[in-house]
Amino acid sequence: MSKTDAESDAKDKLRKMHCKFNPLSRCDGSVMYSQGATVVIAAVLGPIEVKTQNLSIEGSYLECNYRPKAGLPQVKERIREAAIRDVLELAILSEAYPRAKMSLQVQELEDRGSIDACALNAACLAMLIGGLPLKYSFAAVHCIINEKGDFVLDPEESDTLHQRASFTFAFDSVDGDLLLVQTKGAFKIAQFNDIECLCRQASAEVFEFYRSNIAKYHSTREDQPATTIESGHKDLPMET
Amino acid sequence: MSANTSIIMPGERVTLVEDAAKNKRVILGPGLRRLDDKVVASKAGPLRHKEPNTFWVDNYQRRYVPARGDLIIGIVKARAGDLYRVDIGSADMASISYLAFEAATKKNRPDLNPGDLLYARVLNANADIEPELVCVNSNGKSGKLGVLQDGFFFKCSLNLGRLLLRESCPALAALTEELPYEIAVGVNGRIWVKAHSMRETVGLANAIMALEQAGYSEIEKICGNLNGVVQA
Repeated sequence: MSKTDAESDAKDKLRKMHCKFNPLSRCDGSVMYSQGATVVIAAVLGPIEVKTQNLSIEGSYLECNYRPKAGLPQVKERIREAAIRDVLELAILSEAYPRAKMSLQVQELEDRGSIDACALNAACLAMLIGGLPLKYSFAAVHCIINEKGDFVLDPEESDTLHQRASFTFAFDSVDGDLLLVQTKGAFKIAQFNDIECLCRQASAEVFEFYRSNIAKYHSTREDQPATTIESGHKDLPMET
Repeated sequence: MSANTSIIMPGERVTLVEDAAKNKRVILGPGLRRLDDKVVASKAGPLRHKEPNTFWVDNYQRRYVPARGDLIIGIVKARAGDLYRVDIGSADMASISYLAFEAATKKNRPDLNPGDLLYARVLNANADIEPELVCVNSNGKSGKLGVLQDGFFFKCSLNLGRLLLRESCPALAALTEELPYEIAVGVNGRIWVKAHSMRETVGLANAIMALEQAGYSEIEKICGNLNGVVQA
């Protein structure tokens, strides 16, 4: 894994993540999720009634809405919705509920870098707490190449001012396969490969965050204190 | 029921169940599915086991998915010819025939109006059809099923409904010591309560809703406080 020397601005740790489950009472599952200073609320509803034009006998219809903090949704919000829906379509077990709709709403509360990755992670958490059936969970990680050429994982907004390239990757929890790649800017393929490795390692931390928060949520509502058996789950696949 | 409280996440292979399945027939409950010869979880939560051979994932959920044999509380929405359309909180509206009540005949129709609460059993439900309800058992007797008069209705998570329905749950017994009340718990995350006065009813409903957040150990405290709160 190529990294520049210790004096560089290279960062290979994700910002601190927090989440709070079910802040909203009228939906089937919701989460307020933050990564550093970027905060997002995601809510899921489903399976619910679907319009006849969207009705499918083979699976559920997936609706995705992303709202920016201020103003009406524009084209870039639609691009985000499409990216989220693409990942969700891969992850959701839509055959379970044909002729129904799964609806995901993402509301941006604060965008201080890595908003795409944050929105995807919040979407995954909302699905996990909402009880929607998934084939696997997924985690998204954002990384940039700054003007000096260093790889900065999960940058703050200030770090991204003069970035050369930006990457968002989404991985699945079972095999670590790539679900989504979004890139912007100029980069070499070797850099792309290195950043993909870096992000894949970081995604393990996100999966661990999901697991520990779900465990904590259940343990506060438990009959007996929940003991998460760490050795029980197989090691997440990582390239080292 | 032994609680094996390790959290499993969607996509994880559950080798515990696969091993059990080598020797005997195993029942996969909600949250688990079979992929060829693997057992994979589709929801996130603690894995539960009931002797002898039933496994499921006890995930948190608010949305009800109808299953045959469930006892649910529904709200009558409309009348469509020979059927009533009932909202049970699932993706599709359920239907109940006017003949599915005790002592109902073509001439003697039940007196149901939109807005009435119904405690019914799911007769037929799967992913491809609209659920059907009945208010009688196979002998034609209604027992406790039927219209719920007066009282107070509120929604909760499915987990709370199941918690209250467990025989070992001390909550309902503890509440009985505080005040006389009537309760109907639907597995679709809906609860109906009735007590002598409005104050008592609302206090009771709040106590039950508080159970959602509290742990098991807090049940005694919440139920014990109720009488004091109601008198105040």
